[in-house]
Amino acid sequence: MEDQLHPPKSKALLALYWRSEILQVMYWLHGEGLGEVVDPALLERFLGVEAALGVGYLDRLVLDGYLEAVKDGYVLSESGLAEGRTEFAMSFAELTRPAHGECSADCWCHNSVEEAIACAAERSHDHGPDV
Amino acid sequence: MTVSRADDVGFPKNYLRPCLLLLLADGTSHGYDLMAQVASLGLYNADPGGVYRCLRAMDEDGLVRSAWEPSTAGPARRSYSVTPDGLAWLHAVDESVAEVARGLAAYRRRYNKLAARHTPVQ
Repeated sequence: MEDQLHPPKSKALLALYWRSEILQVMYWLHGEGLGEVVDPALLERFLGVEAALGVGYLDRLVLDGYLEAVKDGYVLSESGLAEGRTEFAMSFAELTRPAHGECSADCWCHNSVEEAIACAAERSHDHGPDV
Repeated sequence: MTVSRADDVGFPKNYLRPCLLLLLADGTSHGYDLMAQVASLGLYNADPGGVYRCLRAMDEDGLVRSAWEPSTAGPARRSYSVTPDGLAWLHAVDESVAEVARGLAAYRRRYNKLAARHTPVQ
């Protein structure tokens, strides 16, 4: 079984797909403390996208404002970090969604990651640690 | 031909996948820790890119599930756990691993007999 990703075929979806994959890799590297700078060679190692193609995707992300070109490659811009946080929020939503009766439908925790974290912390504090 | 220890035979091509699943099933959940621990299973200097790609592919295949984990001390980290399908895959692949281990044990027995008769060329 090869560890290959399966990108979509259409050009429009392909651009969105690689944007998401590249931002996810950068956010992952950031979280694991493995560095902030990516280049086409790194994309080839991490995503299996040929370096010659990868540079096109990286340059496009610079044009879109998600990345900034630096001396040795590319780093996340403020907007790229925000997009990474959106990916985070989408994944995190499953974890923070309150169980039935834990908080009301109009709780702010449904609207932002920060509120969801605060709400989850408050509920955990109210219930005390599991022993 | 010069022969040295550097002429690695190496592990099977997809050995990383069962290693990662085993570590995940054992409770390791973050990329950096997984990279550090695959060395204990014989994969020294595992390429972070290969580890990432393997985790990403297993996520797509439903063998692992992942989620961003919030941290008050630093950036969010991706946390991975093995799914029931991943666990089933791990048990199934153990047959192949055991077969490889039996083959290697047989190889080592024959090699040791040979080595007892011949001094290796330096």
